Amino acid sequence: MRWLWLNTLPWIVVFTLAAVSTTGRGADDYAIDPTQENHWAWKKPVRPPVPAVKNATWAQNPIDRFILARLEAAGLRPAAPAGREQLLRRVTLDLIGLPPTPEEIDAFVRDPAPDAYEKVIDRLLLSPHYGERWGRHWLDVARFAESNGYEHDEIRPDAWRYRDYVIQSFNTDKPYDCFIKEQLAGDELYPKDPAAVVATAFNLLGPDMTDATDAAERRQNTLNDMTDTAGLAFLGLTIGCCRCHDHKFEPIPQADYYRLQAFFAPAQFRSDLPTATPEQRARFDAASRAYQALVGPLREETARLEEPYRRQLFEKKLAKLSDEARAAHQTPAAQRTAVQQKLVEKTARLVKVSDAEVLRTMTEADRTRHRQLQEQIRQFDDQKPAPLPMTPGLTDAKDRPARTFVLKAGSLGNPDEEVRPGFPIILTAGHRPVPARITPRSNSTGRRTALAEWVASPDNPLTARVLVNRLWQHHLGRGLVRTASDFGIRGERPTHPELLDWLATEFVVRGWSVKAMHKLMLLSATYQQSAQPAAEASARDPDNHLFSRMNRLRLEGEVIRDSLPAIAGRLDTQMGGPGTFPLIPPEALQGSRAWKVSPDAREHARRSVYIFARRNLRFPFLENFDLPDSNASCPRRERSTTAPQALTLLNDADVVEAAQAFATRVEALATTEEERVTWAYRLALGRRPSADELRLAREFLTQSPFRELCRGLFNVNEFVYLD
Amino acid sequence: LRGAGAGFGMIALAAMLAEQGLLAAEEEANPALNPLAPKPSHRKARARAVIFLFMSGGPSHLETFDPKPELQRLHGQRLPASFGMVKTRRAVDKNKLLATKRTFQKYGQSGIEVSDLLPNLATCVDDLCLLRGCYGDSVTHPESVYLMNTGSILMGRPSLGAWVAYGLGTENQNMPAFAVLPDPGGWVKGGAPAWGNGFLPAAYQGTVLRGGPSPILHLRTPPGISEAQQRRTLDFINRVNQEHLQQRPGETELAARIASYELAFRMQMNAPEVVDVRKESEATRRLYGLDRPETAEFGLRCLLARRMVERGVRFVQLYCGDTNGWDAHSNIEGNHRTLCLQSDRPMAGLLTDLKARGLLDSTLVIWGGEFGRTPMTEGTTGRDHNPHGFTMWLAGGGVKGGQVIGATDAVGLRAAEDKTHVHDVHATILHLLGLNHKHLTFRHNGRNERLTDTAGEVIRSALA
Repeated sequence: MRWLWLNTLPWIVVFTLAAVSTTGRGADDYAIDPTQENHWAWKKPVRPPVPAVKNATWAQNPIDRFILARLEAAGLRPAAPAGREQLLRRVTLDLIGLPPTPEEIDAFVRDPAPDAYEKVIDRLLLSPHYGERWGRHWLDVARFAESNGYEHDEIRPDAWRYRDYVIQSFNTDKPYDCFIKEQLAGDELYPKDPAAVVATAFNLLGPDMTDATDAAERRQNTLNDMTDTAGLAFLGLTIGCCRCHDHKFEPIPQADYYRLQAFFAPAQFRSDLPTATPEQRARFDAASRAYQALVGPLREETARLEEPYRRQLFEKKLAKLSDEARAAHQTPAAQRTAVQQKLVEKTARLVKVSDAEVLRTMTEADRTRHRQLQEQIRQFDDQKPAPLPMTPGLTDAKDRPARTFVLKAGSLGNPDEEVRPGFPIILTAGHRPVPARITPRSNSTGRRTALAEWVASPDNPLTARVLVNRLWQHHLGRGLVRTASDFGIRGERPTHPELLDWLATEFVVRGWSVKAMHKLMLLSATYQQSAQPAAEASARDPDNHLFSRMNRLRLEGEVIRDSLPAIAGRLDTQMGGPGTFPLIPPEALQGSRAWKVSPDAREHARRSVYIFARRNLRFPFLENFDLPDSNASCPRRERSTTAPQALTLLNDADVVEAAQAFATRVEALATTEEERVTWAYRLALGRRPSADELRLAREFLTQSPFRELCRGLFNVNEFVYLD
Repeated sequence: LRGAGAGFGMIALAAMLAEQGLLAAEEEANPALNPLAPKPSHRKARARAVIFLFMSGGPSHLETFDPKPELQRLHGQRLPASFGMVKTRRAVDKNKLLATKRTFQKYGQSGIEVSDLLPNLATCVDDLCLLRGCYGDSVTHPESVYLMNTGSILMGRPSLGAWVAYGLGTENQNMPAFAVLPDPGGWVKGGAPAWGNGFLPAAYQGTVLRGGPSPILHLRTPPGISEAQQRRTLDFINRVNQEHLQQRPGETELAARIASYELAFRMQMNAPEVVDVRKESEATRRLYGLDRPETAEFGLRCLLARRMVERGVRFVQLYCGDTNGWDAHSNIEGNHRTLCLQSDRPMAGLLTDLKARGLLDSTLVIWGGEFGRTPMTEGTTGRDHNPHGFTMWLAGGGVKGGQVIGATDAVGLRAAEDKTHVHDVHATILHLLGLNHKHLTFRHNGRNERLTDTAGEVIRSALA
């Protein structure tokens, strides 16, 4: 079994240092500032009444009443609804990250049914592309990457399983509380479920310096990373700020950080957890038996052939040892004394007989037979079953002495008071450190289970709010709380606190179903508004604080890049599996040999979520469009506008190739130029061109080939900014 | 060529002018619109631009800038017990001390001693401020590379150049704000995160530049498309975008994106000129050693650095030494002889040229690697990593030259007097650029992060 560095840890060192450390202020003595005690986010959301509104017919569901009540109070009206084509393009790109096809546009525009839009949402939520799109949002939060970073940036060969786990979880609408529990404690709670074991890789996704000089320091860095990330991702708590000292702005003492870390302290950081399904295992066992049946007799004969030589060589080596050592080796293993056992271990190397030695001493005839046998065995190599899948992730040993100390200034060499696993005191009754109730399990200490149960509880004031806010942020362009991973005092206050609480309680009522929340938000009139503000709204709500219109969203790099082959009709929709390596321009690779392009060019047109996530070499196209650095949890992507983005969309070989394929596709669809331009607009922008646009395009085509029109459409503002 | 380009240029320009007032105000309020727009510094800046000469692998201070007579005397003996325990990468603490074979000589009016491996640079010593008491936090390459470049041994934080681009923007919108010229032999250990943006917006990361007609990624019109066609297509894009914008008045993000295509077009026109050194005089080329095989490569990059700062690029980082670079675990003599030969004349040329053009006053030049090397020998001819004491130097840009600040102990093992941690060096660099390292912050996951974390003191004595 392959272990990570865990077993070599000098726990004793930590322990010894702790014993001599001076005790400063006790971890229990922290007094919460009364002015910080009543912050809204520390209190469990209470379902507010849905407000009354004047223009009740506008409201499609309770969300709209919360929004409208504020608009009416401000004397504003919501924006007009978006056009049908605009709405379809918006919701399609939003949910699956690919543009609607002309057939889908026609079907929707022509469907007079009152639930036409709802049917579209249902269709999109059932698309497997939905998980690819929304899984990516979670991968940002999870700081997902598939290599270690630092100098060697070694590949983590099985990290993709976590990416697939996330995509799958979104596609199957795994209840969010379950999604949390699996990631924090899947190994403890569902050890028989391979997916739940894969989920625990979440904790190990951060960078890791594999050749660190100090193994304890290395482990501590990983523990810090998983503590920080759990706080940000699930709780919207910037608890990482208290690693070195009490939080400067939040009522979170330093001891809280280490209490939280203590849940993770017994964890073993593994890269080799078995993750086979029972079927895979059964298949593997059957294949192994079949293979064994083929090679077994050959191996046995090999062993028989080698045996006399092996024994002779062993005897010779044994004769050179001391009398005691010889006697120890000759005593059957079970009957050896402790001293003899030690002696055997110590001298094992001296009496070891290598295969090469055996071959050297064989007679010519035996050697020939030996060679024949080996060749016969090799003939069956292709029937050798592939090894069972493994995954990175956590396990826990019950008997591991897991002690956690408050580290002064965050330094491992400076341990202070010992702490027990517990929750941030601002979130406990009476604001006192309460040791978490932990039930040891047959396979583990049960610590992370206790953490997971607490996080994924309807009573946790933060968990549901944080997630519905993330959903809102992606749908509407900004969160109700703008600081999506910071719900603390220093975070921004919600613009619509009642709506946030209503959504959070609704989420729990609906069984933590993420898809139910999508549907609720998407069916709201708020979401369906045009991005064009009503006249008075742009003046009086210039920053769209009140959601008086839809925010105009720039598509993420993945959506832009995936749209190209989708429009050209050559997207490779193969899901899952190890990451792909599309072409990277050689000038971007200068000096780095970290990218081995996938030989099958079709794979280059797979969705961007499947591009191998190399820590030290972000895929340039996506990096240009603000793909986050994968070293820390990212709550919200930047949305920059830069010249290199323009250069990429103009000149990147993939764009040029996609434009050519797009042109070829359109030229096959229609014969007249007017029809072709119309098809190009419909495919790229989801609408027909106006008469002016048609004229402009045709004028352009008098001097330019059609593929240039296609390349042009990939570059226009409307392609990357939604209405 | 220019005439043909006028189509797109003129239309875009008109649009820009119309939008300019609006855009400029918006840019200040919302940096995403043009993250690289010039920004005022906190205080009056002494330096406008930075050239960081990064010696990757860790150059030995003992062979270059830090003569140690006591080390020569103790050659072959073990480190005296009085030095205590010392942590190194390859556990050489019990190895014998290794004297340097180099000789040191006093140069300039300041009389500062420099090794015979750097005879050209030595002539510029009156412009250098040597920091002989530098120290860092880690004995490994990547951690130390990250520390020197990002202020933390953990990977993933924004690099110095990214912080500067974030703090000041750039004066030439046609070029990247932060240009990186890696050694063609291979990247520094730790790779691209050494010039990464970390949690800052991606626009601030270092852009890898190379010579030739396409110095920036995607700069060239794709093969099979003529320049005339490229301009027609740009015109088309622009006209469609203008129509689109007219129906969505006041949408600054859309206007900014139109402007970004204009910028891209100008970059396409300008960047190749910046890296085209054919118009440089013979004398200049010789000054940088372009006429000699051993100095031509690094000399060219030094010359490019000057051309860039001359044109308003904010931060240029050059790497000298391939992936192993100055990492002389064995044969320190041969290794450093080669690398000094490669870099000595070009660096001296750079300083001389900057000075002659009046650029040195406003350009801060920095020399250093991720750490120095041990006085103890590794094997019989090498030296191990030494983050405990090493030398860096600063020149130009408000630095008081011709002085030495700090010192290592008698054998050059640890910084001993007027010690300067990497954070202090960073604080000083930002100070010279008019930025207060305590005020240059970015809120990330709840914390106002800064380059110097919770430390850093400006090295006052280094300032002119």
